[in-house]
Amino acid sequence: MKLRSSLLTAVGSTALAAGCQGNPFPDPPVHIIQNMDFQQRYEAQERNDLFEDGRAMRRPVEGTVARGEVHLKENDHLYRGRGPDGRLVDALPSNIVDSAALLARGEERFNIYCSPCHDKAATGHGIATTRGGGFQVQPASLHQDRLRAMPLGYFFDVITNGKGTMLSYAAQIPAEDRWAIAAWVRTLQTHGKTKGWDETTGMTTVAAAEPAAENGAQKDG
Amino acid sequence: MPAIFPRWTNKIPLALGVLGPLAGVGLVLFVWVYFSPSFTDVGYRPEQPVPFSHKLHAGEMGLDCRYCHNTVERAAHAAIPPAATCMNCHSQVKIDSPKLAPVRRSYNTGEPVPWVRVHQLPDFAYFDHSPHIAAGVGCASCHGRIDTMTVVAMDQPLSMGWCLDCHRNPEPHLRPLDQVTNMSWGDSETEDTMIDALRKLAGTSAPAETAGEQQTYNYREDPERTRLPEPPVACSGCHR
Repeated sequence: MKLRSSLLTAVGSTALAAGCQGNPFPDPPVHIIQNMDFQQRYEAQERNDLFEDGRAMRRPVEGTVARGEVHLKENDHLYRGRGPDGRLVDALPSNIVDSAALLARGEERFNIYCSPCHDKAATGHGIATTRGGGFQVQPASLHQDRLRAMPLGYFFDVITNGKGTMLSYAAQIPAEDRWAIAAWVRTLQTHGKTKGWDETTGMTTVAAAEPAAENGAQKDG
Repeated sequence: MPAIFPRWTNKIPLALGVLGPLAGVGLVLFVWVYFSPSFTDVGYRPEQPVPFSHKLHAGEMGLDCRYCHNTVERAAHAAIPPAATCMNCHSQVKIDSPKLAPVRRSYNTGEPVPWVRVHQLPDFAYFDHSPHIAAGVGCASCHGRIDTMTVVAMDQPLSMGWCLDCHRNPEPHLRPLDQVTNMSWGDSETEDTMIDALRKLAGTSAPAETAGEQQTYNYREDPERTRLPEPPVACSGCHR
């Protein structure tokens, strides 16, 4: 009798405890067997109280730049969208090939980073502008005549440095992807909301019909 | 002469022989189940300094995971975004919300928002997000349906056995490469999106005839993949 009741208790408490599995709890998990799970080693974005600002990740010393092309950003065309004369360029940098793959990349990146505000068709009515009371300043439609006349480098420049109420996206999007987005913006402008371009030839051929961009190049963004 | 030991002592060897092993097995099972991460870690839902809702941002608004966690395709670490990323929209929307005060303070002073880490692997395990994304493992496979979580909680144990289950047989967790951040991939309610994506891969636009039949994704025949995933199953793959 006693045995049976204690057995019942054991089974019952096991079942109860098993029922707790996966229930939300706010305190850090207790690792009963530690197994060196937590070592004196820091990962990205972890806290380290050794330093005054509490960050394990250190910033570069002020006034210094790491070595290498990516950090020095010496290529004005690739990293600033400007030619030797300091004007915004209307061509892709030499290391970025105009192709269907570039446009696919540009579309994907545009939909990730730009469409929340500008929407996928670039008319400026993205989902973020419709929630929480809306934007104070409506995002620009990229189909307006002023922007249709702008050179490719202009879009690169705006993504890189921001414009008006739009903040810089340079930290979120690598330079190569910014060019892909610029190419996709040009494609959207040329073709409106429909995908009418020739997938085999890429952007340049279809943009040739565009009453181009010389006048836009005078004014930087 | 009376017996030195009372009669019940005859049962001691039997009890030790039977109950001892049972207790031993019970103890092993107890530790096995209750000391494992699937019991100690799953459900960890820390309170965050800002009541950011993934359900609102990723679910209802449909922002892509990579809008904020933008390093995930290129780096080992899927970065928690700086306040500047929040301010891309929140310099325009809900600009006076008291809930966003820590974000505004962080943006103005450069002091980080003290977000609490939810998913943490043991320090002796090497993990890199980027090859998992490149192999087409969906975010939801490890992080669960983040788009339904108001406050993020751990959904999977992230234990070694759990990692190995997938490394030994990745197929059930692989999806087309452009569906990695799609939270509802494989969800029966949204099966149409899945079938559309499969059809796009197959290069056919014909609807109807395939609609009824059950389709599964075969990563070996995916033309978008330049190489097939070869997840390491040796110790040194993750313990370097």
